[in-house]
Amino acid sequence: MKKKVQVIIFAVIFFGISLTAWVSPDKEYSEAERRLLAKMPQISLESIVDGSFEEGFEKYTTDQFPLRDQFRTVKALFEYKVFGKKDNNDLYEADGHVAQILWPYNAGSVTNATDKFGSIYENLIAGTASEDKVYVSVIPDKGYYMAEASGRPVIDYEQMFSQVKEEMDYAKYIDITKDLELRSYYTTDLHWKQENILPVTEVIGQAMGLESAGKADRLEQVEAKPDFRGVYYGQSALPLPAEPIYYLTNDVIEGAVTFNFETNQEGKVYDLDGLNGKDPYDVYLSGPTPLLTIENPAAETDRQLVIFRDSFGSSLAPLLIEDYAKITLVDIRYIQSGFLGQFIEFDGQDVLFIYGTTILNDSSLLK
Amino acid sequence: MLLVMVATIIFSWVVGLKIPEKKWLTAVSVAVSLGVLVWFKYMGFFVESFADAFGVEGLAMNIALPAGISFYTFQTLSYTIDLGRGRIQPQKSLLDFAMYVALFPQLIAGPIVVYSDIENQLDARLRKTTWDMAYEGIHRFCIGLGKKVILANNLALFVNDFQALAEDERSVVMYWAYALAFSMQIYFDFSGYSDMAIGIGKVFGFTFPENFNYPFIAKNISEFWRRWHMTLGGWFREYVYIPLGGNRVGRGHWIFNIFMVWGLTGFWHGANWTFLAWGLYFGIFLLLEKFFIDKLLAKLGPWAGHIYTVIVVVFSMVLFNADTIGDAFGYIGSMVGLGSLPLYNQITDYYLMSYGILFIACFIGCTPVLKKFRWADKLEPVISVLLLLLATAYLVDGSFNPFLYFRF
Repeated sequence: MKKKVQVIIFAVIFFGISLTAWVSPDKEYSEAERRLLAKMPQISLESIVDGSFEEGFEKYTTDQFPLRDQFRTVKALFEYKVFGKKDNNDLYEADGHVAQILWPYNAGSVTNATDKFGSIYENLIAGTASEDKVYVSVIPDKGYYMAEASGRPVIDYEQMFSQVKEEMDYAKYIDITKDLELRSYYTTDLHWKQENILPVTEVIGQAMGLESAGKADRLEQVEAKPDFRGVYYGQSALPLPAEPIYYLTNDVIEGAVTFNFETNQEGKVYDLDGLNGKDPYDVYLSGPTPLLTIENPAAETDRQLVIFRDSFGSSLAPLLIEDYAKITLVDIRYIQSGFLGQFIEFDGQDVLFIYGTTILNDSSLLK
Repeated sequence: MLLVMVATIIFSWVVGLKIPEKKWLTAVSVAVSLGVLVWFKYMGFFVESFADAFGVEGLAMNIALPAGISFYTFQTLSYTIDLGRGRIQPQKSLLDFAMYVALFPQLIAGPIVVYSDIENQLDARLRKTTWDMAYEGIHRFCIGLGKKVILANNLALFVNDFQALAEDERSVVMYWAYALAFSMQIYFDFSGYSDMAIGIGKVFGFTFPENFNYPFIAKNISEFWRRWHMTLGGWFREYVYIPLGGNRVGRGHWIFNIFMVWGLTGFWHGANWTFLAWGLYFGIFLLLEKFFIDKLLAKLGPWAGHIYTVIVVVFSMVLFNADTIGDAFGYIGSMVGLGSLPLYNQITDYYLMSYGILFIACFIGCTPVLKKFRWADKLEPVISVLLLLLATAYLVDGSFNPFLYFRF
């Protein structure tokens, strides 16, 4: 009798979950993982025979499973707390920060990146008035400040910085590692916090001869969103607190006008609509885009700057605009570097290559 | 692919009906079944090996392997051969026979159920499911699911990470950890599937034979194989070793029989020289045990037997997972310190720290220690539900779920 009851209870749980999975409506998008979820694949004789239906169906059932986010949290906690795993899907948590393991060191990838930068220099910059105004800086990922201390594998960062210096001997290297610390980054995101990078802008400003960069008294800190959860929040599936996302502004930044070559639209430096999108970090210059300019109508100079950058550059560039009439931001993850000559003519602009270690160690996306 | 199975079922059933009157049909049926298996599973390999050996370029055959063919072919063979021996009666119902061959819980990954095992359970009127059986089946299924999803897949992550490491990032200890992890991965994967099959079978009223019985606690290789993939070992004993004369023949003939059976056992696992070598490797140890190792182990005591067995098995699994025999020698060389690797390094430390508890859990799971705790019986229903939910959490989180047994 007892066994009968137990079998029935189990059957209710088992079929209850299955039934819920079948009747609950499909979701388009996962907020936590920031990606589109799989849909029910097309069923046909062909898709069954070649196995694509089965594969798609497996993805569909995993993606659309009831309480998916909660189940993922259970798994993440079990991996950390019971198995004592040091990472879950290559992400780890230490001191309230989630970071991704950056390892092993991929010297070939760094060379691939510097080769791309080198060809941009050779084809577009060398021999122009910009030739002697080229700078390079490497933004350490969070691991630089927390991997070793928390017992995670760590690459030889110094080797990476030296490699970049050596392979980009046409550029002046700006070391920013001492101007950042773990608290300069969001706890659940890979990016740095704009309000904490003034020391970085100051160092860059000194290297490039800028007057205003890094001066906190000229800027006002505005809370853009009180409960920012970064990309690692969903990926790690750990129950971590949200934190505010701020932006730094003043009249010059507010008055600056952006032009996005992809959408052909003008806009503002801080895109408050971006806060409600997939990634609130898009508040800075409306997120990733191949080519964008910021013009400063209040400029007292005609100096211009071209930044070759990844997403870290979106929050850095606004803090440099006061010293320039125009900043052009180029992201060669989204545009072939060979086409850049059609859009930018180098004739005396400052040029800054600034990339994160994560992109350098996996530069396959650079075009 | 499904058509191959349907054709196999119809052919074996039709011929089977005639075998009691015309015994010679047994040979025909066996030849056809083996022919189908050889064609789908081994032809590509034979052609490739021929092309390699004679330097013929551009000669290749790509034949997709139908899922479960190695398992269901062995099942139909057992039916045909036992009919020829007059041990069983032909199955009158095509539907019941089809169910025997295509019984979904064990179709893809075993256990291999010989016809006489479940002859009386095929008829729905004779088959009974009780609440007790359903309860046991559910519990068994959840244990198997947990073994596969929580332990084996997790060990697979370690194994894959190890294989992705550059040679200069590895260490001798890391090689050993890899070999142990892969051995346990295979065990939890395969025995997990068997548990799930046996469990689902029970829910439907079938009693399938056991397939694993804590093989890692064996005291020699002969005992290991009485505990590991028992239905395969049993099949080869019944249908190959004993018909060849078993051990009731002269020494030379007996040695031949051993190598024949173990060569075939190895080859059954996959169309590659590594699998053939893997089978023969066990054949060699079984012979050596009979000649002197057993006597030596008896003198040294039971622990020597356990250590010897684990070491021999772990080395065998390195061979099992290698792409070529040369690769396997390379791996084993590194394990015994022939490479220029450090004994231990920082990466090894990280992985051992990260996977240490999983390894310990797996070591314990390889032994019957937990069975000694009687209180665990009372918690069975709770354990079943927790394992189901936890395995679901793992499955939902990851697309990482390699199927090891599709190649068999």
